[in-house]
Amino acid sequence: MKRSMEKALIRKDIRAITANRRLLAALWIVPLVMTILLPTILICVIAFAPLESDELQSLATLLPANLSAAELRGTVADLIFNSMLPLFFLMIPIMAASVMAASSFVGEKEKRTLETLLLSPMSLRQIFYAKILAAFLLSMAVSLLSFAAMLFVAEAESFFLMEHFILPSVNWIVLLLLVSPAVSLLAITLIVQGSAKAQTVEEAQQRGAFLVLPVIILAAAQFSGLLLLSIWILLIFGILCAAVAVWMMRRSYRHFTYETLLK
Amino acid sequence: MKAVTAERLTKKYTPEKTALDGVSFSLNPGEIFGFLGPNGAGKTTTVKLLGGMLTPTGGTCRVLDLDPAKDPAAVHSISGFVTEHAQMYDNMTGMDNLLFYAAVFAMPEREGKRRAQELLEQLDLTNAADQKLSTYSTGMRQRLSLARAMLHSPKILFLDEPTSGLDPESARSVNELIRRLAKEAGTTVFLCTHQLRYAQEICTCYGLVDRGRLLTVGTLQELRSRTTSTIPVTIQADRVPADLGLQSKEGDVYTISVSEEKEIPEIVRAIVAAGGNVYHVSARELTLEEIYFHFLENASKQEVSQ
Repeated sequence: MKRSMEKALIRKDIRAITANRRLLAALWIVPLVMTILLPTILICVIAFAPLESDELQSLATLLPANLSAAELRGTVADLIFNSMLPLFFLMIPIMAASVMAASSFVGEKEKRTLETLLLSPMSLRQIFYAKILAAFLLSMAVSLLSFAAMLFVAEAESFFLMEHFILPSVNWIVLLLLVSPAVSLLAITLIVQGSAKAQTVEEAQQRGAFLVLPVIILAAAQFSGLLLLSIWILLIFGILCAAVAVWMMRRSYRHFTYETLLK
Repeated sequence: MKAVTAERLTKKYTPEKTALDGVSFSLNPGEIFGFLGPNGAGKTTTVKLLGGMLTPTGGTCRVLDLDPAKDPAAVHSISGFVTEHAQMYDNMTGMDNLLFYAAVFAMPEREGKRRAQELLEQLDLTNAADQKLSTYSTGMRQRLSLARAMLHSPKILFLDEPTSGLDPESARSVNELIRRLAKEAGTTVFLCTHQLRYAQEICTCYGLVDRGRLLTVGTLQELRSRTTSTIPVTIQADRVPADLGLQSKEGDVYTISVSEEKEIPEIVRAIVAAGGNVYHVSARELTLEEIYFHFLENASKQEVSQ
């Protein structure tokens, strides 16, 4: 019986996003850029760039020698797909989780529907975790769908332009099953923490944007050749994010009272 | 068991800002309690304390023997709330809103749907059931809020200005519904309102608050007996002797205040003895509105003399 209350709330929260055109657009624009546009540009560059270009040569030094030109292009495509795209991909769960958490926590306050919900027989704890779960589930769904779309587009382009099938590495498994859930949770917690102070949805969403910053720094480091994403970095990053998210979530629940919420 | 009790209930938002100051009362089940007072008197704060949305800084309150501060979820499952700040979802239809709240109140799906249809019918919203809330007028929203509060057939209804924004017809039908609910289902109603005339029609007892203090509490009769006990009498007559102390209002209509009803026949006799004709005599008891202002003015006089 109790579970049905939470299910109803989760369903309502997700439907509130999918029924709102403006929010839905916010939800799709980042994935569209990250999964269609960016891989397309990268693959075109790899397929058409002259082999003598500095960038390709510097990457080629990292690879086993005596590869044919076609093999070289294919290997570089694999490398970029498995070591560079994952970082950009992380923007997707961050953004999806932020949009959803902001609308579900702060949006209810803004539209004065929160008090109605708090006056229901659901406990504060049930409401808190049901809302987090709703944001988490939506973020995961968007991430997995985006990955499927990206894989399809990248493989198709790579095959038609270079007759090469990109081989996704184990990096992606770690990313999709550990890092992306952990980062989603972290974004949600940041928004929830701010939800007590933020009065509008936009204000709350900006907090989530802070999370994008470390990702951009990581990406920049990669571009300058400082760092190639290895499975170890991903594992450590994922576990760290998850630990911080769980710790912060527990902490912010303690500040979660009827009185502070309705202020 | 009392339906609602408050004992020296106090809420201070900051040490200087006291919203409610030592308020005590208790309500029997089935009572319609009119909680009256000007804006900022502490009515909404009281409802929030009884709903567990605020924690008292002093004293206690109980709703059917449950402590809202300790077990809010249990209080919520037996009570319904209509307050200004408890809105519903604009992007959903009236029906979907009710079905959502039915699920949140752990009602089985079919039961929730039946109850929602029944209440929409009673509150004259059946035609708007499939419209989004964003198209609703203030009055329709208010009625839907009432439907939402009654969905789970609560034992106690807390209504904070339920008829504000309603046209006279809707206000009347809402009041009728509240009265029927108390009479037939034994629901206790805690009603905060400004509309004293409607309150007098449906409430069985009253509490008057001002600046966080409870001025008086009781039935209309009890409140009347606590005010100055004069009865205003209106007499329509001609050739009225001047020494009776009647004050001319307009034409042949006169008014006088008497302390007891048995003074009235003496006045009539005196007019007739002086050769006058009496066309109409009516003694009027103080209305709730008059009682309300009496207490409020006394309270501010006391404040000044202090």
